[in-house]
Amino acid sequence: MIPELGHVALIIALQLALAQGIFGLVGASRDKAAWMAMARGAAGGQLLFVALGFLALVWSFLVNDFSVMNVADHSSRFLPVEYRITAAWGSHEGSFLLWTLLMSSWTVAVVILGRKLPTDLHARVIGIMGLLSFCFLAYLLFTSNPFMRLHPPPANGSDLNPLLQDPGMIIHPPLLYMGYVGFSVAFAFAVAALLSGKLDEAWARWVRPWTLMAWVFLTLGVMVGSWWAYYELGWGGWWFWDPTENASLMPWLAGTALVHSLAVTEQRGALRVWTVFLALAVFALSLLGTFLVRSGVLSSVHAFALDPLRGLFILIFLGILIGASLILFARRAGAVKTAGDFDTISRETAVLTGNVLLLAALAAVLLGTLYPLILDAFGLGKISVGPPYFNAVFVPMMVPALLLLGIAPWMRWGRESLPELLPRLRWQAAAAVLIGLALPFAFAEWKWQAALGLALATWMILATISGLVIRRRTTGGLPLAAYGMGCAHVGLAIGIIGMGLVSAYQSEKTVAMQPGDSASLGQYEFVFRGAEEVPAANYSAMRGTIELKRQGQAVATLLPEKRIYRSSQMTMTEAAIRYGFVGDVYVAMGEPLPGGVWSMLLYLKPFVGWLWGGALLMALGGLLAALGLRNKGASE
Amino acid sequence: MSLWIGVGVFIVAALLFLLIPLWRRKSALGRPEPMLPQGGRRAGVASEGGATKSAPVGRQSEIRWPTAGLLGVLPALTVGLYLYLGAPGILKEQALTQAQSNYDVDGMVKALEDKLKATPNDPEGWYALGRAYIAFERHAEAEEALRKATTQAPKDAKIIAQYAEAMALKQGRLDGRPLELIQEALEISYEETKALELAGLAAFQKGKWAEALHYWRRLLKLLPKDTEHHEAIAQAVTTAARKLDLSLGGTGMPPPPPPPAEPKKAPH
Repeated sequence: MIPELGHVALIIALQLALAQGIFGLVGASRDKAAWMAMARGAAGGQLLFVALGFLALVWSFLVNDFSVMNVADHSSRFLPVEYRITAAWGSHEGSFLLWTLLMSSWTVAVVILGRKLPTDLHARVIGIMGLLSFCFLAYLLFTSNPFMRLHPPPANGSDLNPLLQDPGMIIHPPLLYMGYVGFSVAFAFAVAALLSGKLDEAWARWVRPWTLMAWVFLTLGVMVGSWWAYYELGWGGWWFWDPTENASLMPWLAGTALVHSLAVTEQRGALRVWTVFLALAVFALSLLGTFLVRSGVLSSVHAFALDPLRGLFILIFLGILIGASLILFARRAGAVKTAGDFDTISRETAVLTGNVLLLAALAAVLLGTLYPLILDAFGLGKISVGPPYFNAVFVPMMVPALLLLGIAPWMRWGRESLPELLPRLRWQAAAAVLIGLALPFAFAEWKWQAALGLALATWMILATISGLVIRRRTTGGLPLAAYGMGCAHVGLAIGIIGMGLVSAYQSEKTVAMQPGDSASLGQYEFVFRGAEEVPAANYSAMRGTIELKRQGQAVATLLPEKRIYRSSQMTMTEAAIRYGFVGDVYVAMGEPLPGGVWSMLLYLKPFVGWLWGGALLMALGGLLAALGLRNKGASE
Repeated sequence: MSLWIGVGVFIVAALLFLLIPLWRRKSALGRPEPMLPQGGRRAGVASEGGATKSAPVGRQSEIRWPTAGLLGVLPALTVGLYLYLGAPGILKEQALTQAQSNYDVDGMVKALEDKLKATPNDPEGWYALGRAYIAFERHAEAEEALRKATTQAPKDAKIIAQYAEAMALKQGRLDGRPLELIQEALEISYEETKALELAGLAAFQKGKWAEALHYWRRLLKLLPKDTEHHEAIAQAVTTAARKLDLSLGGTGMPPPPPPPAEPKKAPH
């Protein structure tokens, strides 16, 4: 009964989304206030009914209703309650339902928080979001229905993918989707601006907080995904240039570019067409990412949907969306009045250059991600594009962007003179070079990755903070958004310290150990105390006990596990990690060998935690900026 | 049907979300509108009620048509799409399965016992009760019930064969009285499936492969294909045929091991 009502709720939501789209857009273009009001009502109704559908699915998982095929395929009686709830979005169908739920939540947020917008712009934005929701709901109902039934129901379900039975998985998809879907607001605003030909500073002021919030969520989503890969996959890495990771990195890069160009458009009225283009591109990339991950074209942990029809639907949707928005862009971009002249050397140019570098890096990632797929699709052979390619193309493009990041906030809008500006930054530059060259000597050996990371980070931190201090002194106070910028830029610098140091100085060792054996790595000694069986509700585990010693002193006991999940019979490695401010000690159990011997993977990961700490700071910075801009918008 | 009540509530709620804003807007339009500054709309600051150019007639149709359209389309499309995509039949099926599994089997046996106490002259009733007892492995009571059935219907092969099975289950072997009963049943009807199965099994237990094959092959022709029972007997036939082959080939095999199969416990 409940699943059936959930199904009906989604069918009604589909129609409400269509009504929202039609009445919003037609109402705005024909100037019919009643229709525009109806579009707003439809948005509220859509959220209610999608939420009912989502709750019905969660309820089905909670009560183990295996007559719902999705529950039978992705849960089991052995699954703990919290994972039964998260299993609701652990499947392809459920994750798209979550996507639609978030989409309608963002829409209602736009309805409520955007009341002060001009009515026609408001209605257009709501209408476009309605049409997007309609497409997602249609996709959900016709190709990925979460409420397909089984009769008679199986006695037990086939369990959730063990990789997803993890706290990281509870929050990773919702955060990522909040980001992806959030960019649909910027997309809708961009299309509305193109439709009405009205795109000015006020427009940019409305879009900015929304875009920043989406960017914050996407940043957190990517961060949690990377952290999850680090501790759950048992390979000790934090970024693998895996296509599914790239799928979230690409919208992030474009979103970062958008956040910056929006700032220019709002402050100076410049880069309007570019900003609109980015807003279209970010959402298209979000959809492309979803297509890559969800269609099954990538065989990886994420590709649990191996149904070509679904991929085809997303591909067609993507084609129409990108095609239509590019045609609209080509026809209407001319109507958007350009304004805000600036010189070759100016803050505008600096931001634009940074943007171009970000997009170039994005293009390189896009190429590396899609090229093997295209080759494979045309039967031209299978190739794998791995970290060497990405590191070789990505790093050289990011280095100048990060140097610019330090300079840009110092530059004046419109026109800047380099001969005047550069000497003012000489101390920061000198300190960066000095620290970059000297500090790596404090480690085991001097390495260029560490030198580069430290120099860049020092430059970014010193230039950003000193810039803010001077600005505060001259203007007598800083807006919240400026603190947000500082926080995000310093966060990025901290993340870069982590990246540089961990890639230069991480060390690893694979050893076969029997109880009583010890192995040493760096300053640490690992003593294997044996492995014992530890049963749990949904898996049984062999848990190793490793005593960690430093200079003869016991500092910790690490308990890595090798788990076998009951229902799926999948084996999982649960790494044991001793987190530390200056580095992690990471132990994963390999394979059991005859005679009670285990192969053990030992890693030392210096400063790896700074990566995620930096990402958190970046997200916090984005949040501060969004709040600052929102208050500013409200006070005007 | 409570599902359709739910669907109705949903449709009404959805219509309210659409029509209330639409009609509230209309009643606002009915009032005299404040004068708006010229060009306000062009500057993008006009209020929501600021659209003044259409005539009242246009206003009416602006509201009437969507209302009529929604009232017609939304319920029809909801029901239509649900009938196409959903599984409304599953509720009935589930209710049925639920009722079956909830059915108090003990209660059923009790009711049958009471009924037979009141009208003991009912061979089919005793037969049903006997089979129920076998299913619950209450072999002594099964034997007793089926004995009563055979005394009331001495010429019913089905009942006699079932009595033989109950007796064999109770004493743990087919030899003796059960086997006599099986032969008796086969004399009455050579198409009695239970008797054929048991006769084949008895022969098999004694290593009389050809005889076992004779009964089971005959049984196989009577059983409906693609059933578990048919499959099990077909497998038994294969086994017996192999044994027969071995014994004819003179491989010097020792006498056959003890019977591989017990008489089937559950009635078919």
